[in-house]
Amino acid sequence: MTESGPGTTDGAELATGSEGDTADHGTDMGQTGTKTGTGTGAETGAGTDLAVHLDGITKRFPGVTANDDVDLRVERGSVHALLGENGAGKTTLMNVLYGLYHPEEGRVVVDGRERAFDSPQDAIDAGIGMIHQHFMLVDSMTVAENIALGNEPTKWFGLAVDREQIIAEITELCDRYGFDVDPEATVEDLSVGVQQRVEILKALFRGADVLILDEPTAVLTPQEVEGLYDVLEELTAQGKTIIFITHKLEEATHAADAITILRDGESVGTVAPERTDREDLAERMVGREVLLEADSDPVATGDVVLSTQNVAVEDEWGVDVVSGIDLDVRAGEIVGIAGVDGNGQAELIEAITGLRTPDEGTVTYEGTDITDWSRRKRIDAGMSYIPEDRHKRGLVMPFDLVENSILGSQRDPEFAPDGRIDWTSVRDHTDDLIDTYDVRPPDANADASSFSGGNQQKFIVGREFERDPSLVIATHPTRGVDIGSTEFIHDRLLELRQEGVAIVLVSSKLDEVRALSDRLAVMYEGEFIDMNDPDAITEEELGLLMAGEQLDEGANSASSASPADIQGGESR
Amino acid sequence: MSSDSDGQGQVRRLLERLVQASAMERIVISIAALFAAVLVGGAFVFVSGGVASCRSGLDVAGITFCYNPMQVFYELFLGALGNPLQAGWSPTNLSLATTLQQMTLLLFAGLSVAVAFRAGLLNIGTQGQLVIGGFVTAITVVFAAPIVPDGFVGAVVLIPLGVLVGAIGGGLYGAIPGVLKAYADANEVITTIMLNFVAAGITSTLLSWRFEADSPNPRTERVPEYAEIPTVPGIGFSGRMDFSLLALGFAIVLMVGIAWLFARTSFGYELRTSGIQPAAAAYGGVNEKRMTVASMTLSGALGGIAGAFWVLMVHGYWLENVPSIGFDGIAVSVLAGSNPLGVGAAAFLFGLLKSGSESIGTATSVPPDLVGILTGLIILFVAMPEFFRMIGRQYVDVGSPEPARADGGSVPADEAADGSGGEDDA
Amino acid sequence: MRKRFRRTREFIDRHPRAASLSVGVIVLAFLWATPASWQTSTLRLAVPIALAAIGGIFAEKSGVINIGIEGLLIVSAFSSIIAVYWLGDGGATMGVSNLWWGLLVGILVSVLFALIFAIVCIEFKADQIIAGLAIWLISLGLAPFASRIVFGNPNTANITRFGNVTVPGLSEIPIVGYLLFDTEPQVYLMLAGTLAGWYLLSRTSFGRWIVASGENPKALDTAGVDVRKVRYAAVLLSGVFAGLGGAGFALGTLGTFAGGGDTAINGRGFIAIATYLLANYHPVGAVLGSFLFAGLNSLQTALQSAGYAIPHELVRTIPHMSVIVVLVLVGRTRLPDAAGDHYESGED
Repeated sequence: MTESGPGTTDGAELATGSEGDTADHGTDMGQTGTKTGTGTGAETGAGTDLAVHLDGITKRFPGVTANDDVDLRVERGSVHALLGENGAGKTTLMNVLYGLYHPEEGRVVVDGRERAFDSPQDAIDAGIGMIHQHFMLVDSMTVAENIALGNEPTKWFGLAVDREQIIAEITELCDRYGFDVDPEATVEDLSVGVQQRVEILKALFRGADVLILDEPTAVLTPQEVEGLYDVLEELTAQGKTIIFITHKLEEATHAADAITILRDGESVGTVAPERTDREDLAERMVGREVLLEADSDPVATGDVVLSTQNVAVEDEWGVDVVSGIDLDVRAGEIVGIAGVDGNGQAELIEAITGLRTPDEGTVTYEGTDITDWSRRKRIDAGMSYIPEDRHKRGLVMPFDLVENSILGSQRDPEFAPDGRIDWTSVRDHTDDLIDTYDVRPPDANADASSFSGGNQQKFIVGREFERDPSLVIATHPTRGVDIGSTEFIHDRLLELRQEGVAIVLVSSKLDEVRALSDRLAVMYEGEFIDMNDPDAITEEELGLLMAGEQLDEGANSASSASPADIQGGESR
Repeated sequence: MSSDSDGQGQVRRLLERLVQASAMERIVISIAALFAAVLVGGAFVFVSGGVASCRSGLDVAGITFCYNPMQVFYELFLGALGNPLQAGWSPTNLSLATTLQQMTLLLFAGLSVAVAFRAGLLNIGTQGQLVIGGFVTAITVVFAAPIVPDGFVGAVVLIPLGVLVGAIGGGLYGAIPGVLKAYADANEVITTIMLNFVAAGITSTLLSWRFEADSPNPRTERVPEYAEIPTVPGIGFSGRMDFSLLALGFAIVLMVGIAWLFARTSFGYELRTSGIQPAAAAYGGVNEKRMTVASMTLSGALGGIAGAFWVLMVHGYWLENVPSIGFDGIAVSVLAGSNPLGVGAAAFLFGLLKSGSESIGTATSVPPDLVGILTGLIILFVAMPEFFRMIGRQYVDVGSPEPARADGGSVPADEAADGSGGEDDA
Repeated sequence: MRKRFRRTREFIDRHPRAASLSVGVIVLAFLWATPASWQTSTLRLAVPIALAAIGGIFAEKSGVINIGIEGLLIVSAFSSIIAVYWLGDGGATMGVSNLWWGLLVGILVSVLFALIFAIVCIEFKADQIIAGLAIWLISLGLAPFASRIVFGNPNTANITRFGNVTVPGLSEIPIVGYLLFDTEPQVYLMLAGTLAGWYLLSRTSFGRWIVASGENPKALDTAGVDVRKVRYAAVLLSGVFAGLGGAGFALGTLGTFAGGGDTAINGRGFIAIATYLLANYHPVGAVLGSFLFAGLNSLQTALQSAGYAIPHELVRTIPHMSVIVVLVLVGRTRLPDAAGDHYESGED
């Protein structure tokens, strides 16, 4: 990865990291002129009212420096975005502020006082609240019970919880910040967006002045994201300070008053959103020019390989989570399925791959009705599947790579003639996979759990692609995978397409599905709401579709006449 | 630690490797658990000796402690081998025969529990499967005997028949909790425990209904002598007819067979995968429900074989008062980490304990139920590897609580850097 | 048949309260229809099951599956008898009947075993199921071992049991008066324990912490409550309840303890587990469920004494078979999300 210079056009000055600049630790606020981020638009000099000041934080883990001399100055009453890729050290930095980690070097200053937090409880006492990406809520309890958990006011000398008081306090908070949350509702009945509000209320109930939100939009629908922005605005208007962690550029530019960018554990600077743009931010974040466009030469498509007719899936309560799905995938094309997580993609894929039987409709594969086929039979027929959850499904974590290399082909005559596994040939196969797919470290005897996410994923991709499939189902193939491995996996997918394999790509990354897909379906609440040529639709339009809104008849709208029907994609 | 070049340092490094290596670690922990159980059991024996009444003992502070734990364990372990330290010891002595006899039965029972365990199922019902299997064996052989010629031909027909029907009986009885688990989500721990009670009830009912022999102990008729497992000619275990090296040999062959099944066959691979990560097994094309039923059936069949050998080798009839071989099988399997070859070693050890309980019964006044307590203690200590790791860490500065991560090289860099390891970029 | 079966399960899934309420009504109606002597014996037989079930609810709700509850019943029942025997059968010590001292000893021994179990599971991260089995097997060996030392026999001597305590006035209430207010102390304890368990779990902050510790320990941890302490407290409480059940059963109902084979407890701890699964972890539901299993137990006694030609060996297994039937009907109960998992604070 090359260190990029500031090569940007809009004039926001960028101090590249802080290497060679460790001498002035502990300098007071007035002397931070040489430090990262000063001089950018958002940064006002000394004397401003800083709610949080992280000064030269260094946090090391065995073999890795997660934070290297990072500075963060957050003004009171502002929204501050902490932007960076996965693994850039954002969460580590916030865990330092929240008292979960002790930094090796640096100072934590809250409200102008230097602090040494031993535990989250200390941080909470200092007025810091954290809203984790995975909510810390007990699903079976009510909103009020969750909010008061651990801080329950009691009556009768502690013999009973004072429920009336809790409800009164929550109602008061809701009124003040304009939240509409029923304190008596059970958390598991609430939408994700409301659950997030409950988390925020929980922090406010404990008297938080500084709220840290870890990837707050990851699980939200676009409307819920808008709602969240409103909440943040209301909170800052009342004097609260917000720090939110994100890797999404548009969020940072849209909602924040200041943006601090982290890359590889180092701070790359703080900018004001109005003085930068997305390309600039992306470049600072990644450290080089970003090419999101993958090469996708048109390929002549062949026969329909996979076809679903009117497929519907019910969940355990009998509610339709997938309904009326018609889908044709031809040899040599990639059909993308975009959508916010939890809109039925997982269930649809399970119905196609044989992990679940559809409640209605048929699945046809190479002209044969396979609706009732077992998973085993589908694998044998040449269906490859890169599962969403590699830790749960894709790999057996305590097995080494040799054993993992035949997961799914354990009864393939090539490796197991007459039911006995020929481990010598399996080992050769594993070495080939490791070699071809650049799995590092190249140790076939190492347990799957010891590899990084990217290398685990490359191994799964290799195993599935080398099966000589005629259909590949790839669900979130690059989730949690570093950029290098992502490009590698994208290239392999395109190669397979070139070879005439039919591919279904499910992803919630808009740039990924847009760049790779030949045709693109958007899934919302269990249905395909549109089918598009991905080149004829903007990301904004795609976002609207994913939120369940129909596009107006406009210049860019490429909606087909029957939006729910995406059968029979033409040759390109 | 790099400055250590003396002997102590070498020992330390060895210990360190032991603490970190997982396969080796298992063995070390099992052995340590055994010692810990013996230690706690010894202390317990000593203290309970203060309660017991006896004529002579160790007087401490006005209390007479009747039991000497050293003597108890001496009898327990060496007595079970026939006191090899004494002159005139012969490998074919009576006590060793008892040990090997118990080992044979425990091998079957331990394998039964281990097979289910490796498939991710806790089969507490080996006892019930053994009761049913043994009962079916006894009545089948008793009723088939008149229509089969006597002598050698009878043996060749009846013994395999008896073992086979025992396996089928136990297998079918083991399939019940498997089916209940697979198709009705009924927790197999509870159902197998309940089925143990039910097995005792059913067999007792059948016994008193029409199969009971005229005897002070409720039991079936005796099978013909030629239908009992023959002893190997020439190796007389002090004239003992209730242990056969052939049976032990068969158990060992079965053990190796199960080990081979796990390591080398597609079925074994699928079974192990189901046990570790059911979702990955389903992804890999394993029908989970069928695997649940199949592994419980196999487990039950092994339990049934244990029952068949208990009938055909030990007594020659089925007895209502069935010893707790099935429960001891749990201890054997837990101590062995469900590794089939380990089951062999653990079965020998528990065979020692069983046989030793007879020795302490005759040589000391300590109640033989002590062995039951020791069994429980061993399981308890094996269940807490962290206890021994903590002790290990007291002596070895491993640095990280996660042994696998201590070598640094295999830390997934992107996860460690992130601290959370799971920032989803959805 | 299959469809009806599925519907039953769906109904239970969707309306857990309605389902348990209807089961409760059926059980009470069934009890009410039986003769008075049978009702009394049902209540007495319910004591170990009900109290062990409430103890099990506390442990499992907090995230520690205590399958060793059978062992706790065994040791408390046995040790309470021994204590009474040593202190003097029928006598009193420091003005209090030796039976009450026996009860106290039973509870203390049970709590001691629960403490060992808690340390092993919480401190040393043991597999809860295996550790629970170990506690059971140790108890199974311990009772006959100790009994042989003291009595030279796996069975203990007989002691004089608790007598009836009549609450003046209340016992005159029609229908329930003689049942609930003219009975033995252990039945009163069971009823009081039920109420206490229900109150503690549903009305106090400690109850909330237990639920959170089992469902989402991290949520509780980040809220500033020590998950380990909550789990220790819950497991020790399970020891108190099981001890009360085992000792009360031995001193009030049995008057002796048979240590051979499955011991006099005979799987009642495991039946208690099935009971609280059936009751979906509700203490009151668990007590009603224990009436069901105890009622089947007294049915067995009633059938036998009535001289029906049903083989008694088979009748004896009726409660065990009904546990299996119940588990199949209820299917997979929703265990607390974190039950069985070790929790380490600060893991991220």
